Amino acid sequence: MSGIYTLRQARFILPAILCLLLFGCNQRQKQAKETLVLKDDLGRELILQKKPERVFSFASSLTEMLYAVLDTSTIIARTPTDDYPAAVYRKPLVSNYPVDYEQVLALKPDLIFTVEGITPLEVAERLQQLGVPVYYQKYRTVEDIFTGLEDIGRIMGRKQEAKQLTDSLRQEVAQLRQKYKQRENPLQVLAITWSDPIYVYGQNTILSDKLRILGAENAVQEVFEQPYPALTREYVLKLNPDVLLGGTKEELEESFFSLYPELRRIKAYQNNRIYKPNDNLMSRPSPRVVESLRELEGFLYP
Amino acid sequence: MMRRGLYVILALLLILVVMLLGLQVGSFDTGAGTIFDAIFHYNPDNTTHFAILHLRLPRLILALVVGASLAFCGYLMQAMVNNGLADPYLLGTASGASLGAVIVFFGFVPMTVAGVYLPPVFALVGAFVVTLVVVMLGYRKRQIIPAQLLLAGIALSSLVTAMVGLLTFLSDSEGKLRSVVFWSMGSFERASWEMVPYPAAALLVALLLFAFYQKQLNILLLGEERAQALGIQVAQTRWVILATVSVVTGFAVATSGPIGFVGLIIPHVTRGLLGATGRGNLLLCAFIGGLFMLLCDLLSRIIYPPAGLPIGIITSFFGVPFFVYLLFKKNYNFRG
Repeated sequence: MSGIYTLRQARFILPAILCLLLFGCNQRQKQAKETLVLKDDLGRELILQKKPERVFSFASSLTEMLYAVLDTSTIIARTPTDDYPAAVYRKPLVSNYPVDYEQVLALKPDLIFTVEGITPLEVAERLQQLGVPVYYQKYRTVEDIFTGLEDIGRIMGRKQEAKQLTDSLRQEVAQLRQKYKQRENPLQVLAITWSDPIYVYGQNTILSDKLRILGAENAVQEVFEQPYPALTREYVLKLNPDVLLGGTKEELEESFFSLYPELRRIKAYQNNRIYKPNDNLMSRPSPRVVESLRELEGFLYP
Repeated sequence: MMRRGLYVILALLLILVVMLLGLQVGSFDTGAGTIFDAIFHYNPDNTTHFAILHLRLPRLILALVVGASLAFCGYLMQAMVNNGLADPYLLGTASGASLGAVIVFFGFVPMTVAGVYLPPVFALVGAFVVTLVVVMLGYRKRQIIPAQLLLAGIALSSLVTAMVGLLTFLSDSEGKLRSVVFWSMGSFERASWEMVPYPAAALLVALLLFAFYQKQLNILLLGEERAQALGIQVAQTRWVILATVSVVTGFAVATSGPIGFVGLIIPHVTRGLLGATGRGNLLLCAFIGGLFMLLCDLLSRIIYPPAGLPIGIITSFFGVPFFVYLLFKKNYNFRG
């Protein structure tokens, strides 16, 4: 008997609970109107509860971008590879590979920036579940860096600062482009990232665009699936680049050319046009891109 | 008797054909005419000729030699421990070579000394050191005990692999990781005329040596006691086998990385063709191994130009289904 009685009571309690739940949902929906919906470069939709104020980046290039646009007090951490600007060393260190989830949560970031290819998507999903949205940027050209900077400015409420920066950077790039436009027989440049096996900067990297701005060409014209394809000795021999980037001649003599003595036939070796660009300037799509262009300019037209 | 001769001639012909095909695959467009010119009217200033003779040809020869070495050593190991599961890496050669190469890749020693690229050198040293330790562990009462040797090989390989894993995990650069991964799957891309003579010489000496030992090898398959009763010096034969396998496999692995499955399956293929105790087995096994490796190399470069898929992946992909087929074939078994 008493069992039935409780069931009867439950008839009244259940609707009451449902009402409460519905009400709660309504409240949440009201809050949702104040949230921020972002779409990152991979087309992922991110929902933020408020304008982000505590952010950091999983990629050293993006850390440089954040420092160029943001109020430094809104940047709350650095990764082990971050080294520029020097002020970044004052921030607490967080491991991005493998990601230290507990530490990330302890820092209470509103948003984490990263670059396509640096952070696996499943890591981003995991962080999302833990309440930390991850915003991806991707860059194919120098111009993409500038729009990336403006995106950061827009998201973080620093439009003006971003605009000032990108205006001056765009102007410098335009001057370089003007200076080197329509050169006959553009220099063929091969940039290696590793000797054994041979990995190079492919056509799909930002380097190709930098070289175009400087009136030269990436010797690797073929488009591979990977941004940094592996090549054979024979392929490099056929490319026969005018300029080789990847180390000083002495360094490459020790590694690349002692491993592949056959490649001493290429023009770059014969004419001593082997140079060592700054690794970070080469590999990071950052606001220092103009600095990188100037460095390359020095190698191409000494 | 006839059949043996026929198979050897057939294998040699196929090797020649595949090598001629292999000479045509690469970044430079080369037809049969260019290949002919490059070989008979070599022009040192012609880069295409240079690529054919100095990049493609040594690569093919290295593939041939390494395939032959691994198959040959696999045959020897299976005969010595009297077990069809054995392969040349049981002595820890592959893991030892990996450790040696990884030590250089991760910068514990310089990459080059006096113009010599060190990873293969250290790989060779690593292979020898680990093999030596395994043999010492397999040695008791003044003779080699096969079961103990196998277990020692497996245990030590695991330990050395764990050491490689630890170094890899602690690696600080993506490039180094790539080198290690790439190395562990095998590659003939480093082949040059300076390097090819070492594994080739080791293989030739071994083939000659075992021209005289083939009979002992077959009797060994009958089991230790019966072999002893038939007047075979079992202990001595085992030492010869061990020494040969460690040197030949060592050179093969040091030059090309640890390429899997060839040493396991080709001996079975050979026995499937000629029976478990055929007299030409060792020679034919080496030829088939070389042919198989050449085919795999050709495939790898056709499927995924220009760099080619890592050779170890191809050998497994094409070797394993065939091996499974062999296992299910009714009239094949290890002792013939």
